[in-house]
Amino acid sequence: MKLLTHNMLTSHVKGVTKGYPLLIKATEVKVNEVEFNPQFVSRMIPKLEWGALVHAAEELGHRQDLPGELVQDFEKNEDFLKKVHRVLLEVEVIEGCLQCPESGREFPISKGIPNMLLNEDEV
Amino acid sequence: MSCQGDGPSEQGSNSVGPCTSSSSETDSKSGDVITVTIGATVPTGFEHTAAEEVKEKIGVAARISKDRGRIYFPITTDKLFQVHLLRSVDNLFVVVEEYDHYQFKQSKEETLLELQQLASKLPWTNALEVWKLNGTLKKKKGHRKGGNTTKVKPNRNTTEVAAADTEQQLHQVASAAEGQLEAESAADAEPCEQDSQEAAPEAKVIKFRVTCNRAGDKHSFSSNEAARDFGGAVQEFFQWKADMTKFDIEVLLNIHNEEMVIGIALTEESLHRRNISHFGPTTLRSTLCYGMLRLCKPQASDVILDPMCGTGAIPLEGAIEFSSSFYIAGDNNDMAVNRTVNNICHIQKRRADKDRISGLPIDTVQWDLCSLPIRTSSVDIIITDMPFGKRMGSKKKNWDLYPLCLREMARVCRPGSGKAVLLTQDKKCFAKAISRMGGLWRKLHTVWVNVGGLHAGVYLLKRTGAVFGQTPEDVHERSVPQWKRHFQC
Repeated sequence: MKLLTHNMLTSHVKGVTKGYPLLIKATEVKVNEVEFNPQFVSRMIPKLEWGALVHAAEELGHRQDLPGELVQDFEKNEDFLKKVHRVLLEVEVIEGCLQCPESGREFPISKGIPNMLLNEDEV
Repeated sequence: MSCQGDGPSEQGSNSVGPCTSSSSETDSKSGDVITVTIGATVPTGFEHTAAEEVKEKIGVAARISKDRGRIYFPITTDKLFQVHLLRSVDNLFVVVEEYDHYQFKQSKEETLLELQQLASKLPWTNALEVWKLNGTLKKKKGHRKGGNTTKVKPNRNTTEVAAADTEQQLHQVASAAEGQLEAESAADAEPCEQDSQEAAPEAKVIKFRVTCNRAGDKHSFSSNEAARDFGGAVQEFFQWKADMTKFDIEVLLNIHNEEMVIGIALTEESLHRRNISHFGPTTLRSTLCYGMLRLCKPQASDVILDPMCGTGAIPLEGAIEFSSSFYIAGDNNDMAVNRTVNNICHIQKRRADKDRISGLPIDTVQWDLCSLPIRTSSVDIIITDMPFGKRMGSKKKNWDLYPLCLREMARVCRPGSGKAVLLTQDKKCFAKAISRMGGLWRKLHTVWVNVGGLHAGVYLLKRTGAVFGQTPEDVHERSVPQWKRHFQC
């Protein structure tokens, strides 16, 4: 699971209103090289929940020096874009779980695939 | 190298392009560039998409044939390798001769006799040169193990990598320097003679077969008869050996009413399963996936979801071919998500083996598409192959599934700018479901396609600007009880 995906995932357990962002508990993390496309990164940033991304990167120990708030004119800052690229696309959680911040329900991640299926009684 | 005595047949209305010499030397050592017409078979319904791709990657205008599923375009031999970069074509062939209005004789005997006589009069030379050149393009990759690949049956869960190898071959071919290609064709160049005994530089006997496709109700003969008689004459003329299974050259005889095209195949097996090594029961061919993706025109940073991804064919084709977007492939079924991940890993490993950056902009999640664990209004494009109810699921399930699907997809899709491209054979059910969603989805365009013999529709939808939960349909839906569905895939 990449952190870009995590940024979009939310808990949908019945009755939960504050299911975002999911907490990450990772037991295996990998870094895979993905081709850098600055236009992709700079256009993606406004679509993200920035705080959630930085927090998730921190949970995995891969925050490096990403700022808590977005810098101005980030579109032209290639160094910054490269850091964001790495965190969005290259860091992957292979084993672990995601946890709903409100209900505590855990969703396992195995072989990089988060299993978000709910049981009968949770829907 | 000049063409001697090889003018166009007098019967042809569209003959193969002239032999042009790009060299001022009279010696036939240098590889002259000639122009030929290439024919390509594409998924029916996506002819225009394929023509667009040809315009974009080869820079020429393609002609769409009346015989559906085919396009034609000119190319010069120095650019031949480009045809192997096309993602929307299933099969490629070089045209020997085309007839728009061939007047078949009344009787079967006369017609077949005429076909036999045609064999020796056709302008084979250029087409054979191209076939030969194409052979060197393929050889560059090194021989595939086991020769011709057998087609993988869709319901077999094997790790068949042959289709993947084809793509590998073609990609490496594309990165080979053009200069190298010309040097090779120069080495193989021979004087153009109409009654040339052998086309290949080696002294072995060439094996061939003729494949005939015939459509139309005014013909007095069958495709088998045409293939047999035409093939016999070709064998006589060239002194090749007929072999139905281990052939070097496949001659194509395509007859569609009054339109007749004779060609030589450039692809030995269909290119359409190129990405998939781990098949599922209903894996969509990659050329169809490519056509669907082109339809929605992915932009840089678009988030593209396939909520019923099966083996991941669509998002994987997207991650490779429209790589400035991000793909999330999801399915509720264990086997499906595992196969998707395996297919992705297989492609990544192949890229790594070629010293390319292997990571792809794609991720896989296991989820229930009626209750997507995705933030509202965060997805730009939804693209998927919806269960047909014939090979997967059932028609009754579709009546419940489709409306729920469309609603959940509308929720996650960005209002105003979002799009959906949905393939389904259950047109009635889809039409009913979409008619109740006018506040959320607007139909932009429909492409009618053929999937595994079933007539299906690819619907391009636009997400309206309406906020989810506030259209009249939504108010109605809230009063209808929801219940959990289990889908056995």
